[in-house]
Amino acid sequence: MSHSTRYAPGRRSTAARAALTTGIITVLALAVSGCGGSSSGEVDPDAADGWSQEFAGTELNVLAEATLNSEILAELAPEFTAKTGIEVNIETAPFAQLVQSVTLDFSTAQGDYDVVSIPYDYLGAYAGSGYVEEITPLIEANADRVGEEFDETDIVEGLWETAATWDGKSYGMPSNSAVTMMLYRADLFENPEEQDAFAAEYGYELAPAQTWEQYRDIAEFFTRDAGETAAGEVLSEPMYGVTMAGKRHEASVFEWMNYAGGFGGGVVDADGELVVDSDESVASLEYMKSLGAFAPPGFTSATWDEVTANLQQGIAAQAISWGDTAGAMEDESQSAVVGNIGYGDVPVAAEGDEHHALHGAWTYTISTQAIDKDAAYLFTAWALSAPVQKKIGEMGGVPATRSAFEDPELVAALPSWPQQLASLENALARPRNAEWPQMLDQLALQVSTALVGDSTSQKALDDAQSEIEGILGDKLPLKAF
Amino acid sequence: MSTTMERPPVRAPGPEGDARTVALRSRARNRVFWTRFGMQAPSLIILAIVLAFPLVYSVILSFQSYSPVDAEADGRFIGLDNYIRMLGDAQFGRAVLVTIAYVVLAVGIETVFGTILGVVLSRLIRSRRIVTSALLLPMIATPLVVGLMFSFGLNPQFGFMTDFLRALGLVGDGGVLDSAGGAFAALVVMDVWEWTPFIALMVLAGLSAAPQAQIQAAELDGCNTFQLYWHVMLPMVRPVLIVAILFRATEAIRQFDQVYILTGGGPGSATTVNDIFQYRVSFAAFDMSYGAALGVATFAVVATLSAILFRYLNRKGADA
Repeated sequence: MSHSTRYAPGRRSTAARAALTTGIITVLALAVSGCGGSSSGEVDPDAADGWSQEFAGTELNVLAEATLNSEILAELAPEFTAKTGIEVNIETAPFAQLVQSVTLDFSTAQGDYDVVSIPYDYLGAYAGSGYVEEITPLIEANADRVGEEFDETDIVEGLWETAATWDGKSYGMPSNSAVTMMLYRADLFENPEEQDAFAAEYGYELAPAQTWEQYRDIAEFFTRDAGETAAGEVLSEPMYGVTMAGKRHEASVFEWMNYAGGFGGGVVDADGELVVDSDESVASLEYMKSLGAFAPPGFTSATWDEVTANLQQGIAAQAISWGDTAGAMEDESQSAVVGNIGYGDVPVAAEGDEHHALHGAWTYTISTQAIDKDAAYLFTAWALSAPVQKKIGEMGGVPATRSAFEDPELVAALPSWPQQLASLENALARPRNAEWPQMLDQLALQVSTALVGDSTSQKALDDAQSEIEGILGDKLPLKAF
Repeated sequence: MSTTMERPPVRAPGPEGDARTVALRSRARNRVFWTRFGMQAPSLIILAIVLAFPLVYSVILSFQSYSPVDAEADGRFIGLDNYIRMLGDAQFGRAVLVTIAYVVLAVGIETVFGTILGVVLSRLIRSRRIVTSALLLPMIATPLVVGLMFSFGLNPQFGFMTDFLRALGLVGDGGVLDSAGGAFAALVVMDVWEWTPFIALMVLAGLSAAPQAQIQAAELDGCNTFQLYWHVMLPMVRPVLIVAILFRATEAIRQFDQVYILTGGGPGSATTVNDIFQYRVSFAAFDMSYGAALGVATFAVVATLSAILFRYLNRKGADA
């Protein structure tokens, strides 16, 4: 011991010197990198195009869903940097991982992300917990800092409402306008032989289904074994009337919500009461189950990925799926049905009823921990500006502004475009309350249980209703959802 | 303690000298203790950070109501509510039953097949090395990759495993994962495929280390091959086998990756093992405090199970 104390001061001084040296080097390194940072903040005033350059040098971290929209934005981001001098790092992650990363970042107030694209059904969870900024004050405060290409009134109204409004306030702007629609094989529907055969069998003209009854008839009609013919060609593999998601997964719940919307059922009614076990909801799940007879084998282990693949391979005649898969249908490198897919409204229970799609939007939100909220807002405004939205459409993504959906060039080039806008205008929203993730988990369990026949539709939805009542407790009827 | 440590002195010291020796020795012992402690400190600190802290934090969390996405679940203490809820939670009960069935079936089948395979391996002379190396292959694959492999193989439309099973008339149009029993069986088979070689290699190691004298004595006494294996060699490898089962059981209880990839816990709740259930509670529904209570309960069960097995193992080791 005494030895060590005798030598300690010397050692300490050596250690202190080493620490000091390391410290100086670190400070110098930081200073040098800092200088580098500030030099990258230099921006050409002529490139501003009406966008404010007062935040030049700010570095924003953006986390977005792993979709085409985000990839396109990452590609276009240098244009934003050229205009504003704001550097943007765009990170992407699939649904589940994104939600987990965001929740961790928000709840620990780490502030790793300044702008986060969230699935809109987490709005109540994040806005309700005070994790994201209200957008309206930012729009007002930055009215003079955004270029003329951005016009917030151009954002599709119903979409913005669903994507960002929580408890009367707006918390972001839509980053993705995914919405459900009916996809069908237009080439088969327009074939005279098929039309005659269908009319002979069902007593009415073959046309895109308006009602669920027609949808089922068409599904039955086009379900054929290998060796039979379709539109005059011998089938080398079986063809199915529909393709659908039935795995224990949110994809199955969202699929069911389309049927439920058409039948007048669903999860929550306009008064905030649970209607999971209503007669209409049960009938819609029963209907979904009956479609299983015309779906490719093993639909009970399929999600939207299989639905898209089945349509692309041309082995299914119809599906209720997401509009943002239209790009994949028309992509020659991966689709066998380019130019052969038609897009229509989600059917209804009886002709004359109002059609309802289901929103699948994502929302740009600005974290309350953001390094600079105004700079973060400028980025979201730029992402929704007219030229960027048009490019998103051109490159196969789904924009959120009306002008992009009504752009003559895009309408001429993209067969799904008119339907995308029509579906966006009639779409319903999923609940967005903080407990929705738990409700969704229960619904996924019970929809799957009913689809594989382990329980009846009635019992499955009764069970879901009672579990969800347990989750919500005295919050029923829901005030905000 | 000090009296037992004392050695006969070289020369008779005076009373003060005696005291000084004791003090010096005590200081020396102290130094030895702190040196040893100091040497181990880095690993102990790391262990405390990665093991003790999360455990203590989970225990505290399990008495709270906390969800990062629900402003009302703000971390207030709610006593034993989470544990009471667990006892009445039918879905958790179902997950526990599924886990027990899965562990018993998978590990049981692996043990029987693995032992037989180990015995067969021990009788191979020339090809043993090649066969042993080949057997390692399934174990090298990460669980996620194994899950993906089976997911492709069992695809109801183009999976080669589905085609094969269909040809045998074992599955219908919907494929293996279309029914509760099929999906559960697929998970058991996947685990058996991956981990039977592990048991076989452990048995092989045990047999290689078995004392030859007793085996030769048994042969001289006229044991036939079956008797030799059943009555002489199997008892010799039993301790190794129990270690292998213990490893496999604790691994199987924590099964997650393959289920997540292959079935997502479905259809319905047919393959919702405990870890999938807890994952859903904590990271899909973000009910962190209930998830923590479930985790603490699972930890208690696994720790008890391990303690019992180790105790059994020690006793058997002493018997052997």
